[in-house]
Amino acid sequence: MSLDLSLTESEEMLRKTALDFIKRDAPKSVVQKLQETDTGINSELWQTAANMGWLGIIIPEKYGGTNNSLTSAGVLFEALGSRPLPGPYFSSGILSSLILLEAGAEDQKTHFLASISRGEETLTLALTESGYSWEPEAVKTTARAENGDFILNGLKLFVHDAQASTYFIIPARTADGVNPVKSISLFLVSSKSKGVSVRRLPGFFAGRYFEVKLDSVMVSPKDVLGEINHGWQPLEHAIEKSIPVLCAYKVGGCQFVVDTAIEYSRTRIQFGQPIGRFQRVQDMIIEMVNHADAARWTTYEALWKLDTHRPAAESVHLAKVVSSEAYWEVCTLAHRVFSGISYSKEHPVSFHTRASRALYHYLGDPSYHRQRLAKVLVP
Amino acid sequence: MDFSMEFSKNQEEFAQEVIEWLGENLPEGWVNQRDPDKITYEQWQKRRELARKLGAKGWLYPQYPKEYGGGGIDSSQAAVLAREFANRGLAFPPHYDSGTLAAPAILATGTDEQKKRFLPPILKGEAFTWQLFTEPEAGTDEANQQTNALRHTRENDFFIVNGQKIFVGSTFGPPDQFLLLTRSDLKAPRHENLAMFLAPANLPGITINPLDLFTSGLLSQINGPSADISPGRKNQVFFDDVKIHESYLIDGEHDGWRVTGATLAVEHGERDRGDVGKKEGGGRWISPNVLVEKFLDQCRNNPIVKESIKNNPQLVEALVDVYIDAQIMRLFSIRNAAGKGGRYGGPQLQLHTKMSGGRLITNMAKVLGPYVLTDDEEWGLEDDIFEVGQRAGLCFAPAGTPEASKIIISRGLGIGR
Repeated sequence: MSLDLSLTESEEMLRKTALDFIKRDAPKSVVQKLQETDTGINSELWQTAANMGWLGIIIPEKYGGTNNSLTSAGVLFEALGSRPLPGPYFSSGILSSLILLEAGAEDQKTHFLASISRGEETLTLALTESGYSWEPEAVKTTARAENGDFILNGLKLFVHDAQASTYFIIPARTADGVNPVKSISLFLVSSKSKGVSVRRLPGFFAGRYFEVKLDSVMVSPKDVLGEINHGWQPLEHAIEKSIPVLCAYKVGGCQFVVDTAIEYSRTRIQFGQPIGRFQRVQDMIIEMVNHADAARWTTYEALWKLDTHRPAAESVHLAKVVSSEAYWEVCTLAHRVFSGISYSKEHPVSFHTRASRALYHYLGDPSYHRQRLAKVLVP
Repeated sequence: MDFSMEFSKNQEEFAQEVIEWLGENLPEGWVNQRDPDKITYEQWQKRRELARKLGAKGWLYPQYPKEYGGGGIDSSQAAVLAREFANRGLAFPPHYDSGTLAAPAILATGTDEQKKRFLPPILKGEAFTWQLFTEPEAGTDEANQQTNALRHTRENDFFIVNGQKIFVGSTFGPPDQFLLLTRSDLKAPRHENLAMFLAPANLPGITINPLDLFTSGLLSQINGPSADISPGRKNQVFFDDVKIHESYLIDGEHDGWRVTGATLAVEHGERDRGDVGKKEGGGRWISPNVLVEKFLDQCRNNPIVKESIKNNPQLVEALVDVYIDAQIMRLFSIRNAAGKGGRYGGPQLQLHTKMSGGRLITNMAKVLGPYVLTDDEEWGLEDDIFEVGQRAGLCFAPAGTPEASKIIISRGLGIGR
């Protein structure tokens, strides 16, 4: 039997390098400042990540990447999630790169994937709108053909990493057809284009959400990604592949919060004993551990299935449901274990709480993926 | 990482050998009975007959050392045996025997002489064993034994046993022997006052009374390809001046807690199945969850169920929750089999199995309706698996309550005592 749940030697090395990087280059003090910025990055961190090959971790070598498996990307993002490190590492290096690989023409891939790997261009997907949903029916933004160009109008809401991005991938309607899957096209839109405006949304999610307005934005036909009217299918494939990598980021967050809470319950003395001796505290810690482990193994199984080209839809939905709920719940429980001190904006758990909220809906929330899962299980 | 549970070429070759052997040795006329309450004495005898044949072949406890009557084969072959049994709807071993719990304790704590005397009858399927630990005053507090085994004042090499055990054994008794935990010293401190015996079950002064309980079998067993490993009905056993010779002691007369610990480590899933537990014979094969598969079949194919799911989105949530719980159970099992369970993976799986069992039967009742509550031939759903499952899902107590699992997990995490 080939069952083996160990990391390979190179994955183990990647994990160690990434954790060292977090410790050395992205300590708590740095990340606390970064999460208050519009971009979530600084140029030193971004350049280091590019030099390490992490921005192009799943991009084939011929396009300037390091051509790793999704599992390796998962290992990297688990480490980045342990802080959690903000910034467009996932939206550009994973999600947008996968969309380009699925839908891009050769010259688009050559240019953009190499630029993404080097950290020169940063891309993000701007799909969701005011009727928040990850289904094609919710895309209302239009792209009207005019004098050989396209004119985009619409509003994209709860977009991740918009301020840090140089380009947006915009799904928009190019036909009135009743079937939304056959009437959506993908556009590469420069953030500097006339008519594009980006606004950071205030709120309890550490600056990760933006509104992007498209007011008669002109896009050249060379910046159409894939076939006109047939943008949805490659987009959906790319999202499916990217989800478990995002889940791994949450796994890293869960594990950090669990480890920190266990350590605290061993050392925090109340009523003359470590609080971990109290069974009510143990109940919470055990629930946290159960969530974190369920998130870990559903995530890595999904990554393994994708890497080995097995049917993965069930596993991807499962991982997204379990890891999103796990990250949210683990953080909620941690506030009960830590109590007062964890409400400090300097407390590492509070970083995770905000991230767990900000990433809960990203690429579909648990209730959406439950629905999708049900459709796979009981067609 | 590789989550693949597919067998290697060598394993498949061994599987052919097992298939041929089973073809020649499976008792005529055995049936896969899901409800332990409905297993007949004849059916149970057929399973014992098969167990004896397997024992002679070395396949009943395939990974135990040959010198003690085991098969001496590795876990990859044991996994093949487990799969081939499951493919025929048979549990492995094909009958319930607390010897599965006694054997690792004897191997870990017995003297060499004891191992040679006690192990072969168990491992060869000749001696049928009941584990007698639980008492009215010793449930989760297992060390609080009230059954006394005190040295006979004149015949000093005998113990006199008085007391009672409850919730023990299986449907068909008496067994050949008891794995019997007792209090051997009325003055010694807790944990140092216990003695463990592997004693004959037919001694004068022993009375067995079957209990009429509504639960029957664990959900983890109902989930499997067959329920016939299930302990089924439980009993009370009374000891009234029962004389047991000291040669039936396992380890010393004050070492009973040490022996119990070795047994409970397996029973609580504390040690990984790839370690001590592998000697149970399960190897690294993880059976599909039959109950959940049949539940999903109902959701896909039963027109009444399909209609109610269509009309009620809340049922979709319940349906998916069944699937999610089952997947987490499967992944925790795979993780433990791969040796990645760490210091708490075993009891964590046990806790999840029991807690998700409670949710599972609730969600199944929501989605499938009152049909899950009947084993009526006309209105019950296929086999009677759902009706049996409703009872089994409430079976929180055997092998320790979920609360006991949490105590063990807390120890593993280094926060509990």
